[in-house]
This record gives sequence, structure tokens and C-alpha cells, in this order.
Amino acid sequence: MPEPRTPPVSPPAARPENGLPDRLLILSVFVVASCGLAYELIAGALSSYLLGDSVLQFSSIIGCYLFAMGVGSHLSKYVNDRDVLARFIDIELLVGLLGGVSATLLFLLFAWMAAPFRSALYALVFILGVLVGMEIPLVMRVLHTRQASFSELVSRVLTFDYLGALAVSLLFPLVLAPKLGLSRTGFLFGMTNVAVALWTLWYYRHEIPRLRSRLTRGALVMAFLAGGLVSSEKLTHWAERGLYGDEVIFATTTPYQRIAVTRWKDDTRLYINGNLQFSSRDEHRYHEALVHPALQSMPWARSVLVLGGGDGLAVREILRHAQVERVTLVDLDPAMTDLFTRNDYLSGLNAKALSNPRVTVINADAGQWLETHSEVFDLIIADFPDPSSFGLGKLYSVPMYRLMGKHLSDRGVLVVQSTSPWFAPRSFWCIDATLREAGFHTHPYHAHVPSFGEWGFNLATRQPGYTPPTAYSIPTRYLDAETTRLMFRFPPDMQRLPVDPNHLNDQQLVHYFQQDWGNVVR
Amino acid sequence: MRRRHFLQAAGAAGLGLALPACRRLEHLGIPVRILQPGLAEGHRLRDAGPLPAPTRALRTGVAILGSGVAGLTAAWRLTRDGDDDFLLLDGPEPDGNAAAGRFDSPSGPLLHPRGAHYLPLPSMESRGVRELLFELGVIEAEPFSERPRFSETALVHAPDERLYFEGTWHEGLLPSGQVNAAEAAQHRRFLAEVAELTRRHGSDGRRLFCVPKALSSTDAEWRRLDAQPFRDWLVAQGYSAPSLHTWLDYVCRDEYGAGLERVSAWAGLHYFAGRGGRAANAADGTVLTWPEGLAFLAQGLRARVPPARQKPGYALRIEETREGVRILCQDASGPFMLHARRAICAMPLHVAARVVPHLRDYGFDPARHLPAQAPWLVANFLLDGFPAEPPDAPLAWDNVIHGSPGLGWVVSTHQWLRAAKPAHTVFTAYRALADQPPAEARRRLLAMGPDELLALAAVDLRQAYGALELWRRTRAVDITVRGHGMAIPGCGSLNNPGLAALQAADGRLLFAHADLSGYSVFEEASWWGERAARLAAAR
Repeated sequence: MPEPRTPPVSPPAARPENGLPDRLLILSVFVVASCGLAYELIAGALSSYLLGDSVLQFSSIIGCYLFAMGVGSHLSKYVNDRDVLARFIDIELLVGLLGGVSATLLFLLFAWMAAPFRSALYALVFILGVLVGMEIPLVMRVLHTRQASFSELVSRVLTFDYLGALAVSLLFPLVLAPKLGLSRTGFLFGMTNVAVALWTLWYYRHEIPRLRSRLTRGALVMAFLAGGLVSSEKLTHWAERGLYGDEVIFATTTPYQRIAVTRWKDDTRLYINGNLQFSSRDEHRYHEALVHPALQSMPWARSVLVLGGGDGLAVREILRHAQVERVTLVDLDPAMTDLFTRNDYLSGLNAKALSNPRVTVINADAGQWLETHSEVFDLIIADFPDPSSFGLGKLYSVPMYRLMGKHLSDRGVLVVQSTSPWFAPRSFWCIDATLREAGFHTHPYHAHVPSFGEWGFNLATRQPGYTPPTAYSIPTRYLDAETTRLMFRFPPDMQRLPVDPNHLNDQQLVHYFQQDWGNVVR
Repeated sequence: MRRRHFLQAAGAAGLGLALPACRRLEHLGIPVRILQPGLAEGHRLRDAGPLPAPTRALRTGVAILGSGVAGLTAAWRLTRDGDDDFLLLDGPEPDGNAAAGRFDSPSGPLLHPRGAHYLPLPSMESRGVRELLFELGVIEAEPFSERPRFSETALVHAPDERLYFEGTWHEGLLPSGQVNAAEAAQHRRFLAEVAELTRRHGSDGRRLFCVPKALSSTDAEWRRLDAQPFRDWLVAQGYSAPSLHTWLDYVCRDEYGAGLERVSAWAGLHYFAGRGGRAANAADGTVLTWPEGLAFLAQGLRARVPPARQKPGYALRIEETREGVRILCQDASGPFMLHARRAICAMPLHVAARVVPHLRDYGFDPARHLPAQAPWLVANFLLDGFPAEPPDAPLAWDNVIHGSPGLGWVVSTHQWLRAAKPAHTVFTAYRALADQPPAEARRRLLAMGPDELLALAAVDLRQAYGALELWRRTRAVDITVRGHGMAIPGCGSLNNPGLAALQAADGRLLFAHADLSGYSVFEEASWWGERAARLAAAR
């Protein structure tokens, strides 16, 4: 029925008076442009928060978005002249809905499933870009049928387009992102898009088919976005809980790992790649057990090497021993040691241990540093992540312990974080066997750290004859003579298991670890 | 007119500027370096131009000509026996097939092999190799026992091998768990049979198959396998499983540079049954490897030879005289004559055929006795970070694609003891051009530009990671083209009278090279180097 080349819209008489609708459309251009840029900025900011490398994230998001806008502009020519206004309203509703939920949706996606995040991000940006790219050409076509002068039209539309962009580019970083946050900013702009749709709908109500259905849809989307705006804070928290259980107060992605610090009431927790490293409520149990049984029995110890442990909590315990003159901390990730040196709150947890003049912080790979340096220490503390992969398993191997042995003084002691003797008994005893294979005398012990469960350590010496301390010369919260005695006792259900040492050519430990933790229902 | 000229000139200049950029674009801006060790020197000898006149003369007791594993071993053995009247002339490529390269990555230097990259646990009979490994600390205890203890830094770390088979990665290189029961049964039968052959002795009391090859049994019944292609033998024994054939074809190309249909049944079985080396602290069949490949051993040998006894340069002509051997040589400062009491010709036989004019007098007729030689590519990819891998099949040391014309790739940083994956790494991809006659393949290689060579060398990495990911990670490529990479132990090579004659030579001119065994492995080169050093020192 529709004939292609007939005049597309009703005669001027059908329009409301004094040219208001056209001015309204120009105002729409301003708003639409603001919203379009806002979604782009939200996607760019969100991806650089979550993925790091902001230059890469921003430029790839902008590139993808602009390209998609080009696709949208191209597609706009397939919109029939008769439907231009109706399509514009439909697109506004769709942009409002998608753009409005974009930030929250991406954040939830990141929290619940890490793998398809990038694909979802770019798909969303692309779809949004296509829709936004159709907006301006459609508005120009609407105006073109009503206005004679094309040059006037282009100049006015583009002027307001760029003005809108300017407004948001200033508002977003200065006001919206800091005050409202990304999720709520998204919902807000989504609602603005829907508002444009609704008021355009109202002023052109005589020209638009199926007015009622469109009004209903618009109202529904508006209500949904308003609901989102109100509850976005809850949604965000829910997403963070999904990741860490608590609110994230700090998160960063470094070339080596993803670091996140969460806090709930007085409990601060550090996660690396989603694995709990400590909880401020009970970390003193872990770190006292890691340090004091060795150092209390070594009044002659002057130098200590800590491998891993960039949070500085082990160093804090070491510094309590006045006989220690120098502590060297070798941790891979400068972001980690910087965070626990500079951040007021976090450096409070380690009592500013990393800025202590007795402490030297070195950011290097522990293996490489041990290979290329020849310094000798009285105590070495190996506080590495659990041996969950072949890469990490190397840190618990016979050659690695031999290498550490070369850095120990004659009476030197090596203490190794040895995963859980309860949850991963074969892994724990494998580390013990590996140390013995490397020529050490071992003294395994364990401590109960509520947030971890039963946790294990190995104290290894080059000469026999270590006895656990029966008293502590420094104030301790967890350790005393009786606790220490029990730590070195293994009850019948935690007895030594016959396991193979961890050699590099078979990495038995990694197999044990995967099997052990595979058996634990978590 | 003037304006037109100007426009033409400007256009031409623009084109001239744009063309190099386009050529760079062909390999997408990645710098590709092509090395052709010995090619220029060798082809000058082949084209037999006039020889230069020597401008100076040097004198030595024993001249060792070539510093691959055979030459280095000979020099090490002489030094160890207290003989320091010798001169090791490096040849065009120091360390030969055990050469290494180095990338200076943004996170530090990265060594990588440019030739062979691993050594199997040595057989009981490879005493010289065991002695060397003990001296280098690779064997830690009881070097000559059945099960020496090896240094863990050299034993290949877990995970050592994985195979890309029908769309996913699996542990190991033989897909026994992924094929039907009948094929898997053939896999087991084959492995049991070669395990049995490893222990078996011939009618002369020697092991049927032994590394060094010279100590293998001469039992005629088994030597007959030399006349038959490995594939025919497999079919005759009822081994028909396609997965077994594909694997063995890979093994033959990897070890010998030619496929199942070219390699003799004797050589094919010798690979599996020849060593039987064991370790106190590792499973049978384990290998030893280093980031720089066998250059670790070559450099270890070299470090034990006094620097004054080593000299850059290469031989152009070797002639026996009444007093000894006269060698016309070339080094950076020009031609010189080297006079020696005896000489060890430690160069590949296709070169010796040009350098020793009367090689026929030693019983070796190059036209009839020269073994076919497989052309090889060794391509090193400097990568920025590691490509993504499936979580259940982490990157192994050796990564092979079932049925691919490539030979997979090894990871140079695999043996590093590090807390984190290094920021940069090197993948070394191997390819033997086994799908056409060697001479034809060499002609093709010679005509190829960097892009074509890269396409040949990257075939496996591309398939595993996709061209885009590979391009995104790759910072530089270093391709070593070895036109005469190694002798192929084809049918009849066991009974090659020319090789037998050179093996037996004990006059003023001695021969030492893995080519004498008809295939290229460290232990054979070492064996002939030891033998030549003993004979040279004898008088």
C-alpha cells in the first residue's frame, strides 16, 4: 500500500503551533548526543576499572563505538521515509533500556563469570553504537521534511550534537562518575533517552501509529530504569559479594595478578586472583606462627629474607625481634608492595613495616633474584601462593629449596608456608618430603587460622636439633608455650603420609594439590 | 609540462617511500631475520672458483676442522688427556647443529636453540657423553651406573609434552586415550615390542640396536631391516593404526628429517631401542634440555678447551703430504696455510667432499656414498607474554600437532625457576622439509623470501593460536635455514661402504662427524669425536 516516493509526513496544519516541535527536536539532538557520549564514557571507564590499561580500554571502546555508529548511520537509510519518526522513538526506547542497564549489566557479568566479559562488553558497545548512530540521521530526516534549508538544518543539528557531547564530557568525570557512580549514571542517562522518546511521542502523537502501545512501552522502560536507579547500589554490592563476599574498597589489575581488598565492619581481606590471602581478624595467627617459632629460637639471627609476602604482615612480626638488623623482602609485584607501603589504612595493618629503615623491599622474581644474588641470611621465610599450577609448583621443588639453602648461613633456618595439612594432607607432607630430599631436617607444624582452617608450615634446618620455644620474649596474641607445643604435635588424624617429594620433572606436588583440594567440598 | 613532470617525480618518490612500508606489511611489521649458516662459504666451494694463495702459515700438532659437537668433543678429549698441541678451527658456524641464538627482550636476554634442543638419557655405552655430563654437573652421581642421578634443572620439567589431537590438547604425544580400542591395542603392542628390542642381543652378543650405532649388533638377520622402509615393516607386522603411523611419521621427521616411507625400518627401530638410558630420579624416556638447547653442552665443551687452541676460520682445501696434512684456510684477515701432523675432518660430509679433493682415495665416493640430507627450518619466535591456553592443558615444553607438516614447538623458558611466568619467552618451532626430495626442497628454500619462510615455519603456531594472536604476541622472528640439516638414514644407509671406509680411516687424516653414523644426534658426533681424538693422540 505505501508508495515509496510520496511525501512522508502530514501537511503542516497537523502540527502543533509556533514551531515548538522542531525546536523540541533540536533539543532532543542535544540530549541524545549527551546520552550517546555518556554510554561510551561509561563503557570505557568501566572496562579500564575492571581490566586495567586505560589507554587501551578507552581507545578500543571509542573505536568500536564510533565504528558501530558508522554502521548505524549506514543502516538508517533502510528506514522507510514514512516510519522515520516512529523508528526514532523506538530506537530511543531501546537505547535508553540498553544504555541504562549497560554499566550494571557489565559489572554483574564481570562478577559472576569472568570469561565472556570482554566479548559481552564489545558486543554491548557495538549494539549501542549502532543504535546511537541511527539517531542523528533519523532526526535530520525528520527535520529535513519540515525545513527547506538543508544548510541551516545541518548546521543546527550538528551544533547541538557537539554541544551535547561537550556538556557530558565535562559532567561525567567531574560530577556524575564521582557522585553517582557508573551504574547510576547509566540508569540516569537511560531515563533521559526514554524521556526524549516520550516527549517526542507526545508532541507528534497525531503522526505516530500505535501511539498507545508505544506510550505503554515507554512508561514500562522508564519505570524499570527508575527501579534500577534506586536499587543499583544494592545490585553493585550484590555483584561484589558474588566476587568476594564483602564490599571491595580497593581493586587493581597488575601485569602479574588481580589484587582486591574488601572490608566488612572491622574485617579487611586481601584477595589475589580471587583467592583469600588474609583476613585482618585472624591474620595475626598465621603470621605469628610463620615467624616466631623460628625467630624466638634464633637470638643470634641478624638478617632475614622474606620471599613473597608483599603485604608486609610477616615483616611486621619479624621487626618485633630486636636482634634482627635487616630484613629483605622480595616480592614480584610492585603494585602490591606500594599498596602496603603507601596506603594509610593498609600500611596501618602492617604497622608501616615496609617503610621501616631495617627493611629493604625488592620487586623481583624470587627465583631470578636467588639465582643472581649471593647474599646469605640467617632466616628465610618462603610465603608463596599455594602450589596450584606447574608454574607455582616450581617454587616448592627440590632445586628451589637447594637454591634457598645456598642463601642460608650455617645455622640458618628456612620456614615454608605449606598449605593445609587437614584439607591437603598429601600436599603438606609432600612439601615436608621435598625439603628433606633437598637435605634439610624438617619440623612440620600447624596452626588454626579460622578464615583458612587448619594451616601448615615447615621449619627446616641444615643441622638437626631444633626445639620449639617454650616462652616468647615479645608480646604475642596467639602463641604461648602450650599453643606452641600443640602446634608441633600432629594428632592421629593428621599424621605424616608416605608421599613422594616434588621433583621438577614430575611435579608430584601439583598433582597432590589438585587431587586434595578437588576432594574438599567448598 | 613542468607541472606534469613534477607530479610524476613526486608520484615516483611517494611510491618509492611507500614500497618498503608495503614489504614490511607483508609480515605485518614483525622483524624477521633469516640465517643461512655456512651457505655462502659452502656454495663458493661447490662452485669451485680459484683458490686463494695463502699469505701466512700456521703450524700445529692436530688440526680439528669444524667445531660442531664432533670437533668440540675431540678438542675436549685432547685437552683432558693433557695434549695441548692442537688447533680447533671453528668452521663457518661455531657449534654447528648445537648452535644457539639470543634475543635481547625488554625483560632481559633470552637464549634459544638454533639447532638441536634435547638429549635423551644416555645409553650405558655412551661413556664419553656421560663423562661430559658428569663434568658439567648434569649428572650428579654415579655417572657410569645403570641409573645415574641427573640434575633436576636439566631433566625436562613437567608438563613435558602435549598433543593437539582432533581439536583439543592431550598429555603425551601418542593419542592412546583418544582412539578406539583396536588402535590403542596396537600402540601398546608397538611400545612393548620396542621395549623388548631395547634389551635384546644379536648373535654376536651385542645389543641389536645401540647408541653409538657403531656398537650395534652385526647380526645379519636384523641388519636386513636396513633394506626395508619403516612403513613397510610396520604394515608387515600388522601395525595398521593410522594414529600410530602418524605418530611414527612425526618421530621419523623429528629425529631423521624424513618420513616413514623414506627412513629404513632399522633406523626407525633404532630410535626406540637404541638407548635404554635410565635415571635414578626420572622415568625412562625422559630427556635433558636447556633454554639454549644443546648449545649448553657445546658451550660446556668449548669452555674446557683453552681459548688459545680455538680459532675462527674455515678450511678450503685439505691435502695429505709426506710430513702430515696441509690445510688451506680462510679467516677474517685472509687465506693462510695450516700445517699439521694430523687432521680431524670434523665437518659434514657434503662439505668434506668439496674440501678433500681425493676423498675417493679414502674409500668414499661422494657421488655414490653421500647420504641424502634433509633441509630444516628452526624458527625462534620472541613473544611478548604467553598466548592463552586452555586451563586443563597448560603449555608444555614440547607441543605437537597431530598430523601437521610441522614438528611442533618447544618453550625456551620452560626450565626456568621463576615465581611468575616471564614477561617474554621464545617458542622454537621446528620443521623438516620432508614432503619432497631434499634437493628440490633446497632449491625451493633458496628461492624463498622471509614471508614464505615464516609461513612455512609458523604453520603449527598459527594453527594452535590463530594468526591474529600469534601476530599480536610476536616481537621478532629468527629463522635458521639448514639446507643440509642432517643425513637421512634411508634404506641401505647401514651398509654404506663409503661411510664404513671413513669410519675406519686411521691415517693422517681422520674423520669425525655424526654423518659417519648416517644420522644426526649428539651421541654419535661425540663418539666419532672421541675416537678421532684417541687416534690423533696415539702417535
